Parts: sequence; structure tokens; C-alpha cells
Amino acid sequence: MKRFECMTKLAARLSDELVVLSLGASVDEWYNAAPHMRSASLFQQQLGCVTPQAFGLAAGLPERQIISLDTDGGLLFNLGILATLGNEKPKNLFVVVWDNEMYQSIGGPKTHTASGTVDLAAIARGAGVTHAYTARTLDEFDAHCEAGLASDDPYIVVAKVAGTVQPEIKRKHSDGREDKYIFVRHVEATEGITIMGPSEHN
Amino acid sequence: MQQSAVDAVIRGLKRAGVSIVCYLPDSLFKELYPALDADPDIRTIQVTNEGEGAAICGGVFLSGKRAALVMENSGLRASVEPLARMGLGAGIPVVMLMSYRGDMGENNWWAVPHGVTMEPVLQALRIPYVVEREEERIEQAIFDAYELAYSSYYHTAVALSGSIVR
Repeated sequence: MKRFECMTKLAARLSDELVVLSLGASVDEWYNAAPHMRSASLFQQQLGCVTPQAFGLAAGLPERQIISLDTDGGLLFNLGILATLGNEKPKNLFVVVWDNEMYQSIGGPKTHTASGTVDLAAIARGAGVTHAYTARTLDEFDAHCEAGLASDDPYIVVAKVAGTVQPEIKRKHSDGREDKYIFVRHVEATEGITIMGPSEHN
Repeated sequence: MQQSAVDAVIRGLKRAGVSIVCYLPDSLFKELYPALDADPDIRTIQVTNEGEGAAICGGVFLSGKRAALVMENSGLRASVEPLARMGLGAGIPVVMLMSYRGDMGENNWWAVPHGVTMEPVLQALRIPYVVEREEERIEQAIFDAYELAYSSYYHTAVALSGSIVR
């Protein structure tokens, strides 16, 4: 199962949701797989921060569906967030974990999931996230996207994907700071709120 | 921690517009956490480590709500990685309220590292901070920390010490 194909399936289901995503090649893949979601996606470079940030966003905007596109390396960096989700039970958070069993962005050394003994979905269930599943085919993944986006409980799908990157895709040129402004202005416009407003004097 | 100091912290948070508090409980603030939990205007989220709390607070910032990360100052060390990436890499601010373990008067050997490292870590991350030892300054210090965080889009910190937490 290829990550880019999964992203294309997920993107087809999205319109007014907000997305926080992880680092590495998945950034450029999402940029291309979901062009209509670019300003609604927070592109960050933060191992271990993605699902916590998405949860914070979900806590602040309880009426908005939030999606975390995390990774095996990123989730393993901070497994504690699963226990927090298990207790807090946000109704509007859908978490996808792209599990390619490697640290792809630095050349592909294996993560702990590569051994076959570490099951991230089972860890999540043990932490109280009862809707936590592993998808190995595109159809399974798509079915979990449909269920996860409609769920009133936190929902996690661990997508077992190949360690390949979609060839010849357009690179995103912006950095984390520009991405934050784009994202914040999108949230402001769609929620009708001010997040980064004017100073006292200009 | 005296009830009057707990009240001052909550007044400061409310005046700053805070509606979500992430915390990992500690001993010096032990009276503060249940008071935050009981406050109807504040949602508390207990986290497993302070770095996770920092990242959740960053997400709350992006929602337009205001969050606080409340912790012992040892939690600053656990938060360095997300604070550096969010603050220096993206300009996503986190406002921290810390109990000052290891300040003058500390009588626990295990707390000495917290005092030794707190200010150098804040300075390494270029985080503006104040150390408050007088209760009457708490509310304004918290309010001011949010003013600066929301004009610089960078982290700020308030550490409470002295008679406030003993």
C-alpha cells in the first residue's frame, strides 16, 4: 500500500476539515495529494508534536473536524499522547499514522515497528482509544477514513505503507513560519475569528 | 501554596483570556491543580509529560483559544524540543507558569538541578521570563506574559517562588 494513494483517498473525503501533519516526504505528498486542503493544513517539522497539536486544535475548536497525519516515528516519540486521548476522548479528532517502519526522511533506518513486535494500534487500544485499527489495503484504509471522520470518539488508523515516495511531485517552498500564517489566516476566515490580530498601534 | 495565591493565579489566567490549561501535577502547586479542575470557565487537560503539554498548547493557540502550560520548572527541560521547534521554527507561542524548584531556600537535594538549569534553559531558548516572589504581583505578571507572547508570537514564562509556593 502506497502512502500517496492513501492520501488521495483521504483527500477526496475532505472539504472544511483542518489537518496537522508530520515531517519528511509525507509533507510534499500531502501538498500534492490534497491541493484543495493546502491552506487548511499545518505543515510542521515536529517529531512527537503532530497529534498533540492536533488534539489542542480539536480542544479549541470542538465543532470542527481535526485530522492528524502522524507517523510511526513521530508517535513512538511521544506515546503518552495516546493515554491523554484515551482519557480526554475528543469527539472531533481522527488520527492517521503513516507506518512505513522507517525514519524515511533521513534515509530509511528502521523504527521499532519494523520488527513486527510493536503494534501501534494495540498500544492505542491499551491506552483507552478503543477505535484504533491497522489498515493494510487501500480499501481497508478508505473504510477507516469514512468511519473515523464520522466517529464521535477518537479514532486512529495505523496505515501500513511502503517506504517509497511518490516520484516527480511538486515541492512545497514555504517554511514553518509562512505555513503557520497561511493556516492561521484560513482558520480565522473559516471560523470568523481573530487569532493573530493587530497591535495596539501600527 | 496559599488559597489567596491560587486565586491570584486564576484571576491572572482569566484576565488574560485563558480557557484551557495543560498541566502535569507537581508538589509546590498542589493546591492550584484541583482549583483549576473545579473552575467552570477553564478546561484542564492533564498530560503525560510537559513536552506533550507544550505541543497541545501550541494547537490551542492555532484554534484562537488561549492556553497555559502549568508545571514544575523541571518540566521546562522536558519541553525544550517542542518549544524550540514551535517557537523558533514556526512562531507558535506557549505561555508557561512554573513553580520554581531549586530557588534559594530549597531543602531537597533532587530539586537542585531544577534551580541550576531553569534560567539558563530559558535564556538558551531566548524566552522572556519573570520570577515572582510576591503574591500581589502574580496576576499582572501572568497578564503581561500573554501580552508579550501575543505580540512577539513567541513563548513567555512566569516562575513563582518564595512565599508564594512555600
